[in-house]
This record gives sequence, C-alpha cells and structure tokens, in this order.
Amino acid sequence: MATPATVTIEDIESSSPDMTVKIVKFTGQLDESNVDEKAQAIYDLIEKVPRNLNLIFDFSELEYMNSKSIGYLTDWYGKVYENGGKIVIAQTRPNILDILQVVGLTQLIKTFPTIDEAKFAISHPAS
Amino acid sequence: MNDIATALKDNKKEPIKITITLPTHAYFMSGIRDFTLSLIRNSSNFSEQWAYRFQSVVDELCNNAIEHGSKPGEEIKITFINHPQDSIEIIVEDSGTGEKQMKATEIQKLVDERSKEGAVIHEIRGRGLPKIVKEWTDELTFTDKPGGGIMVRVKKYLDDVKTQELKQGLSLAGDQTHIVI
Repeated sequence: MATPATVTIEDIESSSPDMTVKIVKFTGQLDESNVDEKAQAIYDLIEKVPRNLNLIFDFSELEYMNSKSIGYLTDWYGKVYENGGKIVIAQTRPNILDILQVVGLTQLIKTFPTIDEAKFAISHPAS
Repeated sequence: MNDIATALKDNKKEPIKITITLPTHAYFMSGIRDFTLSLIRNSSNFSEQWAYRFQSVVDELCNNAIEHGSKPGEEIKITFINHPQDSIEIIVEDSGTGEKQMKATEIQKLVDERSKEGAVIHEIRGRGLPKIVKEWTDELTFTDKPGGGIMVRVKKYLDDVKTQELKQGLSLAGDQTHIVI
C-alpha cells in the first residue's frame, strides 16, 4: 500500500548533440510509503545516460514531498552535476517551494516559474 | 461542518485537544497530512502557508516515530492541541520498541548538531527534524516516557507568525517606490 505518485520521463530536443535533455514530471505526493520506489526511476536514468544529462523536473502536479525525497533530490543533483549535467526545477507549487527553501535546496538547484524558462536555462548555461 | 469549523475558530478560551492513534505504517500518513491541513485551515488562525508547514512538521515527526520508535504492528499516538488565539501544540509518542530506538538526549544532540548554521547533511535521510521541524516551530522537546518510548512535543505561537508576516510585508513594501498607507 502506497500513496499515489507518478514519475514520467519525456525526451526533448537538445541544442547540442552531446547533451541529453529530459523533462521529468512528478505527480501526487512523494512520501515515506512510495519515495524509495519512485526514486529508482531517476537512478536508472542517471545510470543509462552517464554523461551530460540535463533534467528539468516539472513539479506542477507535485502536491507534497517529504524530507527523504529532498535527500534524494540532493543526491541526484550531485551525481548528475559531477558528470557534466544539470538539474533544474520548474512550475513548483508554493508549499513545495517553501519546503525547498527551508532546507536550503534552492541555493543549490535553480527553480523557474515555467518549463520554457527552465529549457532556456538548460540550453544557455551562462545566462 | 462549516458551523463547527466557525465555532472552533471563534472559540476564544478553551484549548481543543484531538488525539489520533495509528498503526506503524507509512501508508496512513497521507490521511494524517490531510487531517492536519484541514484542522489548521478550519479551526485555527494560522495562514494557509502555515497549514502546509504543519502538514510537513506532523509528517516528519510521525515518520521519525515509525522509523525509530515503534516496531511494525504497534502504534504511534498524535495529539493536536489548539490553544485559541495563542498557539498550536503537537505531541507524537512512540512505544519504544523500534529497532533503531534512540534516547531523548541522543536525538536532541543529533538535531542540535544538524541544525547548526552551515551544517551539511550528505545522507538521504536526516533533514526532517533539524531542517524542517526545528525551523518551523518555536519549541521542540524530546522526553523519554517512563514506560519506554519517546514523546516529541512541538509548539508554534501565533504571535511569532504574525510578527514574521508583518516583517515580510514591511520588507516587500521596502522594495516599492511608493508607500501604501
């Protein structure tokens, strides 16, 4: 028995041939009952694309995340970043942004109001 | 239901106490989070933002009790006390039978270390109590229960919230070129 949540991964066109960009959409509530299972999908993706993986996390339909899911987010960021990639977050609800801020994660991972702004930041790293 | 909610919200004096006992399984936490959100929204004067914050506080306290305090098949107890116009108090108790059981002083020490300014947590776990619960409450105490287990008590004062929100409002007003009176 687990709280409903989904993780969907979508390929998007990249501005550079050696760069992989994907949108990862989270829905529902990430909590103690489901987060270990859902996190595995991201670890599998990181393993499949070991270099220059760029991920846009779409949080528009993410209703809740607990401290353990924030721990996973930090771990994914470290793994992706050390292999030339990046993770950004888009369309976060106010309560989720509040929790990301209180644990200090917004100092590490950039957040954007829209997917388009997140895509622009991924394809123009210096901006 | 609306009449009850209004009556609870308008209650000026008497503390309202609600106690819930639930089995040690994370599946039940979704319902407890919904209940917390509804309780704070409908029967307290805390804002919508704080209703969501209390949801996280309760979830983290209960997860901690399930992981460390009570073995599977046993129970944890959550008590909400609304002190009208003053504060919200939440108490979570475990049975002291969990495999990773800790003493109150051990948990307190861990939380103190991890909540220090500049403290970095590298593990997947370990942010709930020091980074969420401690940040969003005014009082956080751990007590060993005489019969075994731990009682964690948190309290958040409404006055402190109002002061913070007023400061935020003044700070935002400071960004403007005109003062709105």
